[in-house]
Amino acid sequence: MDGIPLLFKYTVPDKLYEKFWEGLKKGEIYTTKCKKCGTLYYPPRKDCEKCMSSDMEWVKLSNEGILMTYSIVKQKPQGFENYSDYIVGIARNSDGVNLMCWVKGEAKVGKKVRLTTDGQRVICEVIE
Amino acid sequence: MNRKVAVIGVGNSKFGKRDDVTIKELAWESVKEALEDSDLTQKDIDITVIGSTAYRGTEIYPAPPVSEYCGLVGKSPIRVEAACATGSSAAFTAINLIASGLADIVMAIGVDKMTEVDTSTSLAIGGRGGNYYWEFHMYGTTFPTYYALYATRHMALFGTTEEDMALASVKAHKYASLNEKAHFRNKITVEDVLKSRVISWPIKLLDSSPISDGSATVIFASEEKVRELKIDTPIWVKGVGYSSDTSYIAARGEWVGLEAARDAAAKAYKMAKISPLDIEYATVHDCFSIAEIMAYEDLGFVEKGKGAELLREGQTEKDGKVAVNLFGGLKAKGHPLGATGLSMIYEVTKQLREEAGPVQHSFKRYVALTHNVGGTGHYAYVMIFNR
Repeated sequence: MDGIPLLFKYTVPDKLYEKFWEGLKKGEIYTTKCKKCGTLYYPPRKDCEKCMSSDMEWVKLSNEGILMTYSIVKQKPQGFENYSDYIVGIARNSDGVNLMCWVKGEAKVGKKVRLTTDGQRVICEVIE
Repeated sequence: MNRKVAVIGVGNSKFGKRDDVTIKELAWESVKEALEDSDLTQKDIDITVIGSTAYRGTEIYPAPPVSEYCGLVGKSPIRVEAACATGSSAAFTAINLIASGLADIVMAIGVDKMTEVDTSTSLAIGGRGGNYYWEFHMYGTTFPTYYALYATRHMALFGTTEEDMALASVKAHKYASLNEKAHFRNKITVEDVLKSRVISWPIKLLDSSPISDGSATVIFASEEKVRELKIDTPIWVKGVGYSSDTSYIAARGEWVGLEAARDAAAKAYKMAKISPLDIEYATVHDCFSIAEIMAYEDLGFVEKGKGAELLREGQTEKDGKVAVNLFGGLKAKGHPLGATGLSMIYEVTKQLREEAGPVQHSFKRYVALTHNVGGTGHYAYVMIFNR
């Protein structure tokens, strides 16, 4: 028999990392750096777990990188059913930061990539 | 550990798509078997720890109904969770309760009813098995995707192939065909794996463990109780290792092995005062075929990058150098998250007692290990047992 459905509706904080979400709309990737101890974080954080300070500044990340690994998602989860196949990757940029991204172009481990956005997420374009 | 701890009773339900029972009857199957195996009744149990992820079932707070159904009301004050390592987190808690002196006989029940939701919902729950905010929300990662990121990098750095990974699945199905409690009893070939539907490349359907329902129960006791109850073949807990890693997978900096598993293994070997080469039997967390290859390396059976060789040479078959997953592994025995870690202890106990029937491995030193990973190395437990 059918069980009673349980529908979860969520509200997620967006003001907390507003600069990041705004950056994505402009094709830029921002993250936070601790003003006190200089630790660069990605993803951005409100608080520095190393020196306990919460005094962070926003910095723009370099858009040059290398593709470290990737996977082509064929069977999509709930919420992504209407997307065509997408490639999830991890890129390491020239600041040494590792970012999850969607890969555009012919993915191969070790290829140079240019980091940009599609307005909603980080995109890494494989440079031929 | 302050006090020695032994396994004195084990039970394992039939794994599979169990739409014939709710989570309660499913739990009872392994609880009953463990009580009969130890010759105890519920009144002998001091505390029960219930491991269940529960997200995919209708009973999202399963401990009270399971406890009531199994006649353990008043003895189940805690439910634990560590994603796919939930069963080991229950064992870990139970062992600690005895080692600390708080209890003498503790039952750990692991149970999950995972097939009550549809696959798309299940993938969306699994995709949250990392970091919702920075991963799933933007990138639609599924649980297979996380392991696929490791597989792609392992292939690029060490030349591991899709055929190599397929060998792990073929081995799992071969042994599961001899296990009447396994989710799958069919044998498969390398070609079947390579031709199966791509889920998250390079991971295909037959590289993946199934979404299973099942339960497993282990009863632990202190050394004094083992003597008092005159237990014939206690299986001693010799080493317990645990660790964890970042939720955001990109932050780890390398993707060819699970640092949490390496750290947990080092702690377990140190406590047991043995080396990886002393292990004669291991249950490893083969949720995907690449995970088995990485486990050989992370546990130190071979150096990093050589895992596929061990598989190709047949060294992890029955009576090989270190037999691995002779009950069919997560891949074919099944992977009901809450039960998996305790089912590993069930398997190791059966092997060390020489009660494993057609898949009985031949031991010299009677030393075995369980390796249970939660998430993609977000949690790891490695435990060492001997007779």
